[in-house]
Parts: sequence; structure tokens; C-alpha cells
Amino acid sequence: MVQGHTKEDTKDALHDVVTEMYDKIVKGEAPTMTLPVRTKNNIGFDERLGVYKYGQKRSVRDATSLGSAKQLLRALYVVEFIEGMINEGKSSTLREMYYISESWGLGKFSTQNESNNLAEDLEVVTKCMREDFKLRPEEDGARMIGNLTLQERNRRGEWMRINARDDVGDSGYGVPYNVEEEKIELLEHDINFLMAIETGGMFDRLIENGFDETYGCGLIHLKGQPARSTRRIIKRMSEEWDLPVVVFLDGDPWSFRIFASIAYGAIKTAHISEYLATPSATYLGITADDIVAYDLPADDLSSKDEEALKAELSDPRFATSWWQDQINTMLELGKKAEQQSLAKYGLDFVTDTYLPEKLGELGLA
Amino acid sequence: MAGTAERMAQNQKQVSISEFFEKNKHFLGFDSLTRSLITAVKEAVDNSLDACEEGRILPDITVQLTKVDDKKNIIELRTEDNGPGIPKASIEKVFGQLLFGSRFHAIRQSRGQQGIGITGVVMYSQLTTGSKTHVRSKIATEASAAVVDIGLDTRKNKATKQNEGREIWELPDGTFKEHGVEITTRMKGKYQRGRQSVFQYLRMTSIVNPHASITFIDPDGEVHQWLRVTDRLPRKVEGIKPHPHGIHLGQLQRMCTESTDSRMTVFLRNNFSGVSSRASKELLAAAEIQEKAKPKSLKPDHIRALIEVFQGERLLNGKPVKLLNPPTNCLSPIQELLIKKGLSKTIDSRFVTTMTRAPSVTQGNPFQVEVGIIFGDGMAADKPVEVLRFANRVPLMYQQGGCLLTKSIESVDWRQYGLDQSGGRGVPKGPAAILVHLASTNVQFTSEAKEALADNEEVMDETRKAMLEIGRGLRKHLEKKKKMAKTREKFELVNDIIPAIAEKSASILGRPVPDLAGSITKIMGAVIAESETVWNKKTKQTDVSITLFNYTSRARAYTLLARWPEENGAGMVNNTMGGRKEATGVWAWKLETLEPGQTVTIAYQLSGLERGDWTDTDVFYRGSADVIGASKMDEKLLEDIRRRESVDDHDDEDGGEEADVEPPAEPPTPVKPGQQTLMGYGGDE
Repeated sequence: MVQGHTKEDTKDALHDVVTEMYDKIVKGEAPTMTLPVRTKNNIGFDERLGVYKYGQKRSVRDATSLGSAKQLLRALYVVEFIEGMINEGKSSTLREMYYISESWGLGKFSTQNESNNLAEDLEVVTKCMREDFKLRPEEDGARMIGNLTLQERNRRGEWMRINARDDVGDSGYGVPYNVEEEKIELLEHDINFLMAIETGGMFDRLIENGFDETYGCGLIHLKGQPARSTRRIIKRMSEEWDLPVVVFLDGDPWSFRIFASIAYGAIKTAHISEYLATPSATYLGITADDIVAYDLPADDLSSKDEEALKAELSDPRFATSWWQDQINTMLELGKKAEQQSLAKYGLDFVTDTYLPEKLGELGLA
Repeated sequence: MAGTAERMAQNQKQVSISEFFEKNKHFLGFDSLTRSLITAVKEAVDNSLDACEEGRILPDITVQLTKVDDKKNIIELRTEDNGPGIPKASIEKVFGQLLFGSRFHAIRQSRGQQGIGITGVVMYSQLTTGSKTHVRSKIATEASAAVVDIGLDTRKNKATKQNEGREIWELPDGTFKEHGVEITTRMKGKYQRGRQSVFQYLRMTSIVNPHASITFIDPDGEVHQWLRVTDRLPRKVEGIKPHPHGIHLGQLQRMCTESTDSRMTVFLRNNFSGVSSRASKELLAAAEIQEKAKPKSLKPDHIRALIEVFQGERLLNGKPVKLLNPPTNCLSPIQELLIKKGLSKTIDSRFVTTMTRAPSVTQGNPFQVEVGIIFGDGMAADKPVEVLRFANRVPLMYQQGGCLLTKSIESVDWRQYGLDQSGGRGVPKGPAAILVHLASTNVQFTSEAKEALADNEEVMDETRKAMLEIGRGLRKHLEKKKKMAKTREKFELVNDIIPAIAEKSASILGRPVPDLAGSITKIMGAVIAESETVWNKKTKQTDVSITLFNYTSRARAYTLLARWPEENGAGMVNNTMGGRKEATGVWAWKLETLEPGQTVTIAYQLSGLERGDWTDTDVFYRGSADVIGASKMDEKLLEDIRRRESVDDHDDEDGGEEADVEPPAEPPTPVKPGQQTLMGYGGDE
């Protein structure tokens, strides 16, 4: 199990970034910030961790142009801001930091995207997580339903025991942005596996049909591209409770990427893949083969879809023969299908036929 | 000059004038209600400008429009000038008789080549409203002003007069009018705003008449004013004799028949421009005519032979006879600096460049092309540029597409000069206005409407050349702007950002702020010149400062040079750094060696200029390493300037220069004030 950094570790790591700039000036050179190249060309499989991580390629951001010099200055302001929050036990959202930067003069952000990217840059360089930086994302985490029990520390600092089947309404348990041990402890469960679901419509369909009870599973609604905390809690449950994870998504190139970010690590966050990725997760569907096998109503691939598929062919995370087959099949079909296209055969088809068949192949049903 | 004038004269006898007017009103500019009003204003204002020019008076012209009956579209037009005034006895001739005046027969540049004259306005007023035109005229030598209501007896083509009298012309401020003419007339017309409007006509007129102040009171009572930007009146234009290249057979026959000269040599010398005594002999030799032949008794064959020699079709010793160019003092260009001022006063913008080509000749008629471009943020960037066309200082407002001047703009690929133009054809798009002015003794129009210039190879060629020149000026300006933006970025980088990084990183780490010199030198690695040219409201001078920064790791020595408007009569004052004159308008400072990180500033003021005269200082350098923000001095060009200066010293101001006319010689481009933006120094071309 991997852990977050201590306050002192975090500050030291941030100071290393500042020291790099300072030392360059002392040496009479342009200040720099060195960070890993964040493209698919610089991610590789880490045998020890079982996830994809950034490789050795580094890019140096130096203060010889106005744009990158401003980036460095902003980084310094952000470091100072984070240190302040760590010392005072505060936290802020990325959006709040963007507004706070209004008073940073030359170090002010011009768009929120800039501040988000810089926070990520600092994570990448320091190998800390933004939770260590006390920075919260805007997006909320996923919803969960199933017979599993955890305790969450509330605003008053008290532990609250929650069962995600009995203590929640129809919308399920809302996963907070921080799911580290200081905030959430996993207590007990009576389930056989976890199922992550892409769309809210399908999540609600399975609940209405009582699928979680019938098959003894925990359901997690990903809300499209899953937030970090969603991926993190999946990983924790999978590791701490030793549960299999299956991922049920639309059948299109973007779903493939969602799966890769859950199972192998996302390109943007490859610096913390070992915190977020669940290498044991399995892609349940919709597969390209499913489109044919179940004769699903399908849409034509757009040119963007095709580009995305072709890019995936050269993505190291999809280098296995199974993925290469799926991607090539989809390209040949020229089609993609949504999860909810299974409704072609009736509302219960997905729970009575499709999922049992697919889970059966995995020995989970 | 066959056209309206002659046709009208012929027509007079056969049809009544009003019938003629009715039939030809589209030629005369009275076809639509909007255009009729513009034409009326135009006739009145042209008259005023011409009168002031002849009287050598700086014009103050007021144009006022008042709605009389909105439903019936009846408008009252009042114009007032400060011209010499019209003597009482001449008023009825000027306002009541078509084709009065001598300018239809003179070969010279004049506004009045276009249009029917003020009589047309009197007639239009009478035909559309039945009312008379009220005229008030005061000449300096009389104590009171003459007043009269003028109408037209359209059957007799004669003026009718009513309410004739004299009165004291008192001005609103209680003083008395010294001289001038006021016209008040009612007519059917429609006032509109936009590209074809009275407002636009007056605005354009003010651009090409920078010596005039024009006040316009529109029908809503709003007052628009264009003040004069120069006290220099346009050069008095002289009439010239016809040039052999522009003569037709019939004309030559008539001239011979009417001649009283005793010998052909004398006849040629006296009646033509561009014919020296040597040329007259050569022309006759080529035509095989006796020198002592009497013009009156010349045979048709001889006349035809002479025309062939004139046209260069008949040769002497295998070559066409060399003739002098016609004198060009019959032309009155506006001149670059004044166009610049005219443009700047009507359009608020950052960059103007203008170009007056040397006079040239087409078919024996002297002409001269002037162009200008104004570029800047004030104008729409995604629309076609505004095209401002003029012929002999008169705005052309209709038929833009069919006009030679527009075609010349369209023939240039403006994309290479920084304007948008789809496919490199058509009127370019961008925040700019392009001005084209043709000054000529014989402006050729596509039609009697006189709104579009007819195709002419030589005029097109000259106009295109001028366009390319201002295009280069624009490109240079844009490149410079880009470079300056880059330099400014670098300055922000080393002056603001790097120090901030040093301070912030030191404070986070709790260490002392490190010395920045090394980093800055490393980052810049260059010598940078920054110049600033600003108008100082208080001192009424132009403040110039040039700063040189050595951001390299080695000591550097330079001589800096700057252009300044010496030719415009500017003075350089408070130049504490001394230096010396290198050539006219080029000053040089030999600077002490600059150590790494050192800067030096040269500052001085320019006196004797007006606001907007000099807005940008070109800086050049001599030295081994490149200077960002300055151009390497082109020594050859400097020599050229010096050479031209010594030529100018010996040049008299004679208009007729000895030059080979056939084929047309490439006229040299003289160095003139206002051309600073076109000086092609430096290696960035």
C-alpha cells in the first residue's frame, strides 16, 4: 500500500523546486524547472508497481522567454501558497487558488487552466499528490452502492460509520475528494466484486433491477472520466479487501481510455499511477466483439473517434494483443455502441442476460 | 476635352436648357435625391476652393443644410466662403450662365473639369422647387455686399434677377465680412450618412485640401469641423501649351490654319510645349517640311507627316525625335507631408505613409500620382480598406469598382505587405485606408458621370509603383511593431520577472537575494536599443530618447545614428550627447565603450514641428555585434543621400527638365520630407 507524503516531506520536495531556480541564478544562468515529458511517448510499464509511469524523458522549462519565466514565477507563488496552507492546516480548491492569484501581481494566472496545469506540474516534479498540497479539485467523486461499510471523518473530526446499502438513499454514498486513510477507513463488506459503471443511466438501471443484491457486488458510478478520488477508492477497496474489479463502459475509444486510466494509469497523472491505478481491473464491456455478438444498435465512428483509436494503437498501455484486436475490430466495423443500447432487448436484458454472460466468462457469476 | 462642355454648347441652340438638363441629369450628377444634394454641395465648395486659390486666400468654408419640408424632401443649402467675392456685375454670369469661365479651354490642372458648375445648382433648385438662389457677395474694395436672387430663363438660357440690392454683411460676432460669397438655395434632396454622403464628400475634400478649414452643419444641427493643418496654399498652377504627344490631326490642322507665324520653326516653338529650337528643326526634318514653310499654307500630307513624327512613328536617323517633357508646374500635387497631415486629421490612427511620385507624362499630358496609406487600431480589421479616390483634389465617390485608381490597388498583392486579401486580388481587408490622388491637366474618365478614371497604362504604372512603395512602408512598420513587441517582452522578462523570481525564491528558502547580472546577460545575450519619440504638449517640441543596453558578457563600442526631419525645418535642441551631422537628416553619436550590464541614453528635442509630424525615430548603428531595435547603417545609402544633397544644391526649380520622353524615362524619386518611413536602410528588407 502506498501512502501520501508527510507535511515535512512535501515542503522539502517543494523547496527542491525552488532551490533549482535559486541555484541557477547564483550560477549566473537562467532559472529552470525540470519536469518529465507528459505524453504517451514517455510512459512505460513499471514492473515493480504494475502500473504505467513516466519514463526518463525530461523537459526543462527555462526563463529565457516571457511565457515560461512567468510560469516559473507562478510556480514560486504556488509553492509559497501551499506552504502557507500546510503550516496553517488549511486547504483550498484549485478555483480558489486561481482567484487568490489575483493578488500575486506578475505571478497572477490568466486562466484557471493555467493554475490547474501548474498544480499538476508541481505534483509531477515533487512526486507529491495535490492532496499533500491541500488543493482540492472542483469535481466531486463518484457514487457507490452495495453492502460495504466504511467510516468517514466528518467536518467535526468525528468518525461516521456508513453502510453503502443500508445508510444511503437511492443516490448512494458520495465519495469525497480526499479518500486517504486520515479521512476514510474501509471496515467490512459482504460482496464478491466491484463493478465500475460509466453512465448514470446504467448505474440507476442496475440498482432498480436489484443487481447488486442478486450478484453480491458493489456498484460505482464513474461519471465519465473518473475523478482521482474515484480511482483512488477503487484501488483501495480492491487492494485492502482483495476484491476483483470489473469495468462496464460504453463501447467507444473514449471508454477504452477511461479503462486505461483506471487499470494502468492516466497519461496526465502517470506520476502518481501507483496511487490511482488498479492493475487487476478487467474490461467487461461493451467490447467491439459485443457489438457484433449482441447485434447492438451502433453509431458510425466520427473522424475524431477514428483518430483516437489509431492513437491508441500506438499507446503502450494498449499494446496487448487483446486490446489491439478490440481496437482493430472497432476500426473495421466503423461502429461504436452505448451501454444503454442493450435496452434494444428490453429493460432487464442487461441484468438478466448480458451481465451474467459476461461475468460468467470471468467466473464471477 | 470633348465632353459635356462641347456637347452642351452644341445642344444649346436646338433644345431648351431645362429639357437638356432633364435628359442629362445623370451625367450632371443630379440623378438621385441623395446624389443631387452632394453634387450641389460639391459645385459650391469647388467654386469656393478655386476662388480662394486664385485669390491666394486660405479658405474658410461653411456648409449648412436645413430641412425645409421633410415630407417633400426639400432641403436648404447654404454655403459661405471667405474668397475674394464676385463683383456685382459678374454675379449673373457666374450663377446664371452655363459654361462661364475660361478654365474649360486652359490646359492645366483644375477642379472645374468635373461637373456643370454652380449654374446647374441654380437650375436644379428652380426646376425642383421653383425658387430662386439667393446670392450675397462682398469684395474687399466695396463697403457693402451685393445681394440678388438669381433664377434662369430656361428658354433664353439667361439669368433672371430679382430683389437686387446692397446690404451691410454683418457677421454673428458683430464684425463685418471683408470678402466672400454666400449662396442660399432650396432644392429637392435627401441627406444621408455613409460612404456616399455630403459628410463623406466634405471629409474627403478636407483631406486633399489641408489648407482649408471646412465647417459642416448637418440637418440635425450637429457641427462637424475640419480645421486646416497647413498655411501653405496649393501652388499656383500655370496653363501650358499643348505637347506634341497629345495632339490630334484635326487640332494640328486648325492650329496651322489659324497661325500667323511666318515660319514652321517659329510656329512649333511658340505653340507647343516641350519643343526646343533644336527639336523644332529635327521635327521638320523628319517630316520633310521646309523650315521656312508658312504654317498657313502647309499641305494636308505635310500635316499628316508631322503628326507621325509627333507620335514617334516617323523617325529621324532611325530614332524618334527627342522632345522635352511638358513643364509640370501646371500640376499642383498635395505633397506627401500634407497628405499625411490631411489623413491624420480625419482618421485617428498610428501609422501613415505617403508617396508623391515625380510628375510623368501620358499622351503629352503631365500627370502626377500621389498615394497614402493610414493603418491602425481605430478602423475595422475585418472589412475592406477604405478607398479614398481623388482627381485634381476632387473626391470621387461613385463607381469605385470601375475606376483605374481602384484597379491599381487591386493589382497589388497586399498579403506580402501585411494586409488580408483573399487570393491576392481585389481590395484588401484590414484596419487601413488607402488614398490615391491623380493630378493631371487632362483627367480621363470612363463616362460623362466623371466618377471613375479611365484605364491608362502610364497612369496605372505610376500608381502601382506608388502602391508598392507605400506597401513596403507598411510592411516595414508592421515588422518593426512586431520586433518592438518582442523587445518589450524581453525587457519585461529581465526587468520584472527575473528579479521577482530571484526575490521570491530567496524568501521561500530564507536565503539572500542573489545577484542577477549573470542571469540577465545569459538570457538577453544581446545589445538592445530602445527609442521613444513623443510630442511634448508643454514645450511644443518632440522629445526623443534613445537608450542602448549592453546585455552581453563583453564590452561593446558603437556609433548610433538617428534620422530626424531636418529637411522639414526641424531643429535639434538640448542634444547633450553632442555628436555630429553625417548627412542631411542623419545625426551620429560615437559612444563610449559600454561595459556588460551598462546602459547609455541619448536625449534631445526637435523644435519647429507640429504634433504628429514626427512620431517615430529610426535608429541605426555602426559596430560589430547586432543591436536589437536598431538597423545596421547602410553606408551606401548614406552616400546616396550625400550625393543627392550635392545634386540638390545645384538644382534650379525649373519645371521642364531635359529628358528623353520616348520611351518614357524612369523618373528619379526625390528625397522629400515625410518620406522617413520609406527610407530603406537596414538589412530587414
